[in-house]
Amino acid sequence: MDFPQRLDLVRCGDELAWEAFVRFFQGRVFGLAYHYTAQAEDARDLTQDVFVRIYQNLALVPDEGGCLPWIIRITRNACIDHLRRRKARPPLWDLPADELFGLRASDPNPEEAHLAAVRKSMVHRALQELTDLNREIILLKEIQGLGIEEIATILEVPVGTVKSRSNRARLELAEKLVAAGMGG
Amino acid sequence: MDNPFLPPDMPLGLTQAILARTSGSTCQRLKDLACAYVDGALEVGQQSLGRGHLEICPSCAALVKALALSETTLPSLVHLNPGPWFTQRVLRATVHRTEQPSLWWKLMHRPRIALEAAYLGAAAGLMGSYLPLPMPHLTARVPAMVQPLGASVQRVVGQVVQAERRTSNTLQRGLVPKPAPMARVPSRSLWQRLTARIRSRLQAFHKAPSQPKAGEKSPKPGNP
Repeated sequence: MDFPQRLDLVRCGDELAWEAFVRFFQGRVFGLAYHYTAQAEDARDLTQDVFVRIYQNLALVPDEGGCLPWIIRITRNACIDHLRRRKARPPLWDLPADELFGLRASDPNPEEAHLAAVRKSMVHRALQELTDLNREIILLKEIQGLGIEEIATILEVPVGTVKSRSNRARLELAEKLVAAGMGG
Repeated sequence: MDNPFLPPDMPLGLTQAILARTSGSTCQRLKDLACAYVDGALEVGQQSLGRGHLEICPSCAALVKALALSETTLPSLVHLNPGPWFTQRVLRATVHRTEQPSLWWKLMHRPRIALEAAYLGAAAGLMGSYLPLPMPHLTARVPAMVQPLGASVQRVVGQVVQAERRTSNTLQRGLVPKPAPMARVPSRSLWQRLTARIRSRLQAFHKAPSQPKAGEKSPKPGNP
């Protein structure tokens, strides 16, 4: 069964199709929320809110091509609202949490899995040090794999800005990684 | 090694000294081309020149290595595992949320409903105690709780005093008097008093002869 058929079933209220939809997108939505918030529990709450919002607006979900950018836009808006609220009233436990990557144990070689987890953790920390626009461009282009036009639409900036900022963001991230001791 | 402009035995310090005295550091130029170098988008000649610079410049080599590592690591960050029971949590929050409770149920189950009810009750009691009633004939029906406390106390004290007086008189006479039927005087409402007054004024007005004013002439009888 292809994606549009599944989406039709979801719109018709099929609970199994909705569960498959959640399973398909939850890792991506959670990953984006985690890179925005840097807090695993906040990212879980935001991911749940995003799916509740999607469920309440199933008639508005676009077809296959526009579905992912639509979900990413909803997730981004929810994360930005959350960050604004957190900035206005910061929690007491506002410390980076690194427990997330320990949850993954699917790699066959434990040493490689550990190295990959360390590398991901370093990249995640370096991402938190970037400027907002550069971080969002990295998140949407390099991680989520969106196109330049879609990123420009989501970020509400010109396409030229996204193009020119893209390489600068990658370089800034690489410099942060070198400063953290990754490139040496 | 592959740099065509540098002989293999050229010391690195000498190269850097020459560059410092001529074109300056070439690191910025490589930084401009680093992304394209990692992506393999440079021409063959420029790719070779960049590789030659990386052999003699450790900082640029570290930068390009970090860039390449980030390029391989970033796509793997797209899916993160939110936890084993996360799907069930989302399904509980979505599928089972379709049966929404009624507005009345939500209103009654708010945490402050008891406090709000007590506040409204107290406010209504105070208003009933201190505001004059709009219709006097309802006064007899109002419970004693909403009457002014001072008036109630005075009335009760007066009734007690009267009862004591009657009791003492009865005891003195040695007879138990029959309770006299209370003559109910019909209380007239404000509207009844007002209409009666207007009616009496109108009757007095119709009875009095109309007198012309001092400056006016008496009206002549007109033609029929």
